[in-house]
Amino acid sequence: MKLGDRPLANPDVVLREEYDDWAVLFDPETANAVGINPVGVFIWRLLDGRNSVEQIAARVADGFDEVPGSAPEEVRAFVERLAAGGFVGFAATGATP
Amino acid sequence: MMPTLTTSTDRGEARLPRLEQIYFYLTAGCNLACRHCWLAPKFDPDGSRYPTLPVALFERAIAEALPLGLTGVKLTGGEPLLHPRIEELLAIVGERDLALTLESNGLLCTPRLAAAIAQIPKRAVAISIDGVDAATHDGVRGVAGSFDRAVQAVRDLVAADTPPQIIMSIMRYNLDQVDAMVRLAEKLGASSVKFNLVQPAARGQALYDTERAVSVANMIALGRRVATELAPATRLRLDFDLPPAFRPLSAVARGDGRGICNITAIIGVLPTGHYALCGIGEHIPELVFGQIEADPLARVWRDNEVLRTLRAGLPDRLEGVCADCLMRHRCLGSCVAQNFYEHKNLFAPFWFCERACKDGIFPQSRLAGRRAQAADSAAGAGEAKS
Repeated sequence: MKLGDRPLANPDVVLREEYDDWAVLFDPETANAVGINPVGVFIWRLLDGRNSVEQIAARVADGFDEVPGSAPEEVRAFVERLAAGGFVGFAATGATP
Repeated sequence: MMPTLTTSTDRGEARLPRLEQIYFYLTAGCNLACRHCWLAPKFDPDGSRYPTLPVALFERAIAEALPLGLTGVKLTGGEPLLHPRIEELLAIVGERDLALTLESNGLLCTPRLAAAIAQIPKRAVAISIDGVDAATHDGVRGVAGSFDRAVQAVRDLVAADTPPQIIMSIMRYNLDQVDAMVRLAEKLGASSVKFNLVQPAARGQALYDTERAVSVANMIALGRRVATELAPATRLRLDFDLPPAFRPLSAVARGDGRGICNITAIIGVLPTGHYALCGIGEHIPELVFGQIEADPLARVWRDNEVLRTLRAGLPDRLEGVCADCLMRHRCLGSCVAQNFYEHKNLFAPFWFCERACKDGIFPQSRLAGRRAQAADSAAGAGEAKS
């Protein structure tokens, strides 16, 4: 198996939405937390192991106004930061030899 | 487009931090008698009755702090403009290329003083105005005519290219004037408005004892209204000075950390020339660390037991709700001096957060530990609204 390009939210992590549409991602195992803005919340909900980063970026472009051309890179960087913090993994795409 | 805000960090072992700021409490007296003052200086209409910090000690403290990392000073009081040699002090700040923060009631701010302040390249001035009319402000401040002079101070500072922040402390006396204060600040040309929580210390305690302070629940609700309704509708920056757990993440991510006390990078100097945690040292001898003439600042900064204990213990030794708060690395217990004043414990939780927790209105989204697990379980679907 190898890790693919389809990010998957850590199922232990809790999304806690706040009154201004920002949210806190909280990992009860590590007590790590990160604050994310409404775009980040939108992306978080798409981290199901089926959507690629490119597909997620396309959904962001469809769902928000004035999305910059750099959105795919920003989405990837965002997901990688979450992955570095243990909030996200990547779905396996196949068996290793 | 997608900023994130880390609320938990690995700070590693405690190191000797830079001494970035000195808070100079320049005068033991004050020319006002504010109902909510947490320091309660003695009334001194012309600055002649009670100690003021000698210029030589001001200079010496700065000279000794520069090698430790000093980048700025806050001049406060009492009332800093009551200092008989305030222009000399301002000149010293400018000559050392330090950032100036000046907190004043504005009564003694003249066009000449405003011009002297404007000579300092890095400067931020705050004028306290607690009502949008003379009856309210003068009633809170205890001296007739103080409203007109504070408003004139704002005008003089604006004219001198130093548009000030207006600080309004929220009490029952002025609770219905928050919106109008924003309009007044816009009209005067202020740079921002900061809404302060009254601390239950000294005269502030009396306000709580007599139910003239605003409840925790009402302060939380007002803070949200300021963030969601008033702030988007004005060109001014609005800061609502509640602990970070009660501030919108959007504001924290923008860097609206103003009002958060970075206690591990600050030392206070009292009018007598004593080093202290902050101005509250005038009431708490345990938080006085030495004297400028007798004790080298480098040694005080490095060796003082209170400072060492704080460095080693913040934020991990914080107790109560602070121990479970996801914002504790930013907040550091909000006001250690206030916490110590109440409990004689450097790591006691902040009173406002404890009260909110007890009343069930602490934002559950900002909690870790058992309290958070309970909240997340209650939310069922794995998502909890704050």
